[in-house]
Amino acid sequence: MFSKILIANRGEIALRVIRAARELGLKTVAVYSESDRNSLHTILADEKVCIGPSRASDSYLNIPNILGAAEQTKAEAIHPGYGFLAENPRFAEICESAGINFIGPQPAMIKLMGNKSLARQEMRKSHLYILPGSNEIVQDLSEAKKIAKKMGYPVILKAAAGGGGKGMRIARTRAQLEEQFALAQNEAKASFNDASLYIEKYLDNSRHIEIQVIGDKHGNVVALGERECSIQRKHQKLIEESPSPFVDDRLRKRMTKAAEDAARRIGYQSLGTFEFLVDGQGRYYFMEANTRIQVEHPVTEMAYGIDLVKEQIRIAAGERLSIRDGLEIGGHCLECRINAEDPVTFSPSPGTIDFLLLPGGNGIRVDSAAYQGWQIPPDYDSLFAKIVALAPTRPEAIKKMQTALEMTTIVGIKTNLPLHLSILADTDFARGSYDTQFMERFQQKNGNNQK
Amino acid sequence: MDDNKKIDYEEISKLVSFLEEKHLTEFELEVEGFKIKISRALAQATPPAKAAASNPTAQAEPAQTSTPAAAAISQAPDQFHYITSPMVGMFYRAPNPASPSFVEIGEEVTKGQTLCIIEAMKLMNEIESDVDGVVTEVYVENGKPVEFGQRLFAIQPLAA
Repeated sequence: MFSKILIANRGEIALRVIRAARELGLKTVAVYSESDRNSLHTILADEKVCIGPSRASDSYLNIPNILGAAEQTKAEAIHPGYGFLAENPRFAEICESAGINFIGPQPAMIKLMGNKSLARQEMRKSHLYILPGSNEIVQDLSEAKKIAKKMGYPVILKAAAGGGGKGMRIARTRAQLEEQFALAQNEAKASFNDASLYIEKYLDNSRHIEIQVIGDKHGNVVALGERECSIQRKHQKLIEESPSPFVDDRLRKRMTKAAEDAARRIGYQSLGTFEFLVDGQGRYYFMEANTRIQVEHPVTEMAYGIDLVKEQIRIAAGERLSIRDGLEIGGHCLECRINAEDPVTFSPSPGTIDFLLLPGGNGIRVDSAAYQGWQIPPDYDSLFAKIVALAPTRPEAIKKMQTALEMTTIVGIKTNLPLHLSILADTDFARGSYDTQFMERFQQKNGNNQK
Repeated sequence: MDDNKKIDYEEISKLVSFLEEKHLTEFELEVEGFKIKISRALAQATPPAKAAASNPTAQAEPAQTSTPAAAAISQAPDQFHYITSPMVGMFYRAPNPASPSFVEIGEEVTKGQTLCIIEAMKLMNEIESDVDGVVTEVYVENGKPVEFGQRLFAIQPLAA
């Protein structure tokens, strides 16, 4: 096992890794930008190194400075968290060549899954269903129109370098495709500095359901049940739950086996997530695989009573998987992502938290890097707390979550707490009958005006 | 500081002349809750920055600024120019262990002159002065790690 690890991230996930490392008896090194001087990960790690100014490209994405920090502090491994450098194969390679353990899968796996067309081909070989779409980057609008005509509308445009819903656009008609193509390109260019797009068949009334897999360096692989992530706004997840109200035992068995087999076949060695679109008939299509810890990992941890981050660190150090196959789910788990944003306009609301009361009690877990008096920097993601509720049944979990959110008080910044409360009170949500278009319908129904 | 007034303006003046008399370049005095450092290249209190230069391996704690007394002394506007580290790496004052340092306190430097080397990823990066002036402080010991933004040198710019 390592004795010291560096966390190349910030916010709640950096804190999550610091906690896991400390529980394992490891020393931790935080890296931070100038605007995170007073952030919790900087304060709570054993050591800290400033790696650059506010702008992420100069700090949290600055590979030389991060490696310099690891070298200075003699950290043996780097945990990348999610976002930033987590799925950058070059970073994983450089870590390896510098003799620093990258806490994640092999660079080749990151490369494979980062290339959408290669990933699709490979998953087809693993007998996963793939949605019709362009196998290569779509060069221009006329090519996009040709492909769309062949597979039929609606279609979805996706940034090749994408993630986090940016650069994704749905087109239901030829006219919409003409309109959306340039927009998607611009968005992709702005977000990832790469305007390349893919085009895929879009499934209406489908659900976004993902399977957590874990592989070790000894060939052992397990898949843990599903996370239902269909409550999304602009492809950004808002509420996740496990189990999915839609998935029955039979479908769960098929999907977990499919993901587990695929992960085993490619020799996957770390935490990973296989994302699927599931249609109304229970047919599931591989979308992509994420080669990192997910934001919503606490849902699986709570539902199955495990610690994915500790397991991830142990596996990186060469230990064998300690999580058994066929683990029983221990209840129903919900997670709400609390963002510093205006609940009406959804624009980010950075600023100082003047008063903060986070919930607690039986079955409640809060992953957050916020504290009273902390100034949320405007430079990064607006997510600042994840509130997780575990109860024996889904209705009880919803009730528990409502109680927790009602007792949460945040003064000084705007948050999406009111939005979460009205989703939890929605009858379709309560019945569990929803799909990825839930939020569009919900906003129309509520006059797009969640106070 | 009022009830425990150990040093006033007159005494500081005396200290300054004492330095000149004895041809000392630097003088440092510390008494309860009060610290003064006088360096003769300038005949002035050093910038209240030494304690603020953070140590990358130190435990997290709020950065200490100057003591109230020291702040009171440097009433003149902050006229120092600071050279900070543009990267994370190892700080070296000389091109190799056998050579003399690039610069010493009290030495005049010109814009573009190399002040130190920061080693990052096996590369030696020469850090240059971006002003003409006199080096009044070196904040980091040779061979120590530095982080981004850490103060390396204070320079008293020369009036153009």
